[in-house]
Amino acid sequence: MIATPARLLEEHPIVTCVGSGGVGKTTLSAALALGAARRGANALVLTIDPAKRLADAMGLAGLGPEPEPVARETLGALGIRDGSLSAMMLDTKRTFDDLVRRFARDATTRDRIFENPIYQHVSDALAGSSEYSAMEKVDELVASGAFDVIVLDTPPSQHALDFLEAPERLVGLVDSRIARHLVHPAMSAGRLGLRLLQRGTEPLFRVIERISGMGFLEDLAEFLLLFEELSEGFRARADHVRELLFGGSTAFVLAAGPGRGQVEQAIALADRLDELGARTRGVILNRLRLSPEPLVRGLARSDAWTELGPALVAGGLEPRLERAAAETARRCIEGYAEYVRRDAVRTEPLVRWAEAGDAFVRRVPELPRDVHDLDTLCHIESALFDPMPT
Amino acid sequence: MAQPLPSPAQLEPLLGRRLIVVTGKGGTGKTTVSAALALGAAARGLRVCLVETGRDEEIPRLFGEAEPPVGHAGRQLRCGPTVMKMEPYAALAEYLRLQLRIPGLVTRLLDQPGFHALLDAAPGWRELITLGKVWHLLQPPPSSDEHIDLLIVDAPATGHGLTFLDVPSVVVSAVRTGPLQRHAGWVEEMVKDPERTLLLPVTLPEELPVRETLELLARARDDVGIAIDRIVINATEPEPVPSELLDLPERLAALPSSPDGLPSPATLAHCVRHRLERAALHRDAINELRKGTDLPFVLLPNLDVDGGGRGVLEKLASTLLESGEPLP
Repeated sequence: MIATPARLLEEHPIVTCVGSGGVGKTTLSAALALGAARRGANALVLTIDPAKRLADAMGLAGLGPEPEPVARETLGALGIRDGSLSAMMLDTKRTFDDLVRRFARDATTRDRIFENPIYQHVSDALAGSSEYSAMEKVDELVASGAFDVIVLDTPPSQHALDFLEAPERLVGLVDSRIARHLVHPAMSAGRLGLRLLQRGTEPLFRVIERISGMGFLEDLAEFLLLFEELSEGFRARADHVRELLFGGSTAFVLAAGPGRGQVEQAIALADRLDELGARTRGVILNRLRLSPEPLVRGLARSDAWTELGPALVAGGLEPRLERAAAETARRCIEGYAEYVRRDAVRTEPLVRWAEAGDAFVRRVPELPRDVHDLDTLCHIESALFDPMPT
Repeated sequence: MAQPLPSPAQLEPLLGRRLIVVTGKGGTGKTTVSAALALGAAARGLRVCLVETGRDEEIPRLFGEAEPPVGHAGRQLRCGPTVMKMEPYAALAEYLRLQLRIPGLVTRLLDQPGFHALLDAAPGWRELITLGKVWHLLQPPPSSDEHIDLLIVDAPATGHGLTFLDVPSVVVSAVRTGPLQRHAGWVEEMVKDPERTLLLPVTLPEELPVRETLELLARARDDVGIAIDRIVINATEPEPVPSELLDLPERLAALPSSPDGLPSPATLAHCVRHRLERAALHRDAINELRKGTDLPFVLLPNLDVDGGGRGVLEKLASTLLESGEPLP
């Protein structure tokens, strides 16, 4: 049975918005949360983007690492009485350090991890780790019970997959056989560096050392060793996060735009999600050029345009501008009609994909301005929740 | 104090470099720009190699030569450029073979399941090996007919695109000794050499891409030290309405009816207004970018509606390379 955005938000504590870069995920996530609030929910939109504009639009001073509620009066002015809407941005670096603090056995381990040169780069660069932290925070927020629904804005698609796979990868690192080889003898010896040097007789390490140099392996071993202490914690969290994402609490909504290649990327992403066990429940086509009436109808009869000039002059246009006005109107409208046609053609495969999988499809028109205020956000909300019949 | 900004025509020719890294937010068309640049350079007689770093091969399709896939080995396309799809695992195997010269050992290493787990979790090695391969491709080859004049990298989207370029210096600082440190140093030197290497940011005349471009400029300067000498603004459109007719939407909306066969006055007005508002948005975004940087802009027309293909790429190439691109 095909869900609706309203039902999805009602039935899931987490709704995750995925899609490639530049399709407007942050704004769509906010509009979904706004719609949930209008239906009486305490809703939170959690973004990974600084989204200053979104904060401004919501009347918030800025987005920080804690939920910021939109003022009651602001929501009241939009007709929202029972629900609430909050927004926050993830401080990925901070959260990752927090994880280390949480899982480290003692202050010495913690400080050694923070000082390890590999960690210093890992916490920034480990693909998906920042997003993993995102799930940590989501988990914490779900557990707190403060919100009925959390709408999660994700990083662009390639990295969205990193994000979904990050827990496995983290655990995979500390669990890997090579890590055990590298770490355990050293661990039993207590003196890491010395033991590793002696292990230089093993071909695998000889190979790595010949290329990487000795210091790197030592740092890596230390990192793995220290991280292993944390791995129980990470493993438990990873299982939990996987359950949270793929165990039915989370609904995935796929966003795509009509730009070249965006629909193909979206379908590839949805297929990948499917493999991971996450069903895409809805598709949002954003920034479409839509027309309330078929535009191509009149375009075949070109003399219709020659009648437009005199009509405009009859309405008060300076006669010398007659031809320029008709020509400009024609160019704009034919251009727009071409966009409408092209957007429909390009997004069709995704619409068919959604229909085959019983996912809902919503079309959001391209807006003349970027979203700067809640009124504009309400426009998007209504395109999502009260779609025009197509 | 305000000096006239250099126009693109007064710039160092793009084609004087050995390496151009094309970067930008997802959806800005950086792959199209990379392809156009490669096509234009090849048409001017350069031996061009274009490197894809994304998950899938896109560029051969843009040239209408998608089959067979180019793969990591690369293939010279009929239209001129050689295109290769960077496969980090393949590049790593090549690197290890060069370093170790014991093929059996490399195979054994790569077959270790633990080694894969370690690699999957290890940050930065894909980026490093990708740049390492790029460096290697630019070294003098054993025979002169394999020489590459210009290598163009279609880099990962920004955000991640810059992480891509900082990796060598990160490795140089994280790894204390040994060949890896030395090799990362060579790659870092290549990235930072303004004579050889240029970062070409591609953006759109829209708020978010512009903001991201300004962040990119700051990070490229402060964190990476890679040269940037111009910004490509893609998909720009000419002013849709002459200045005397800015009230055209209102005039159309006020018509009692449309001539037979045309959409309603409200729809006519909507379409013209839409174009006007988009144009204003684009203008604002370009002004915003102008406030944040003195670099010259290269404006590319929006040719998206033309349906793509070689013709579009050739038009873009001529704008990218127009005036001041001497034949080599």
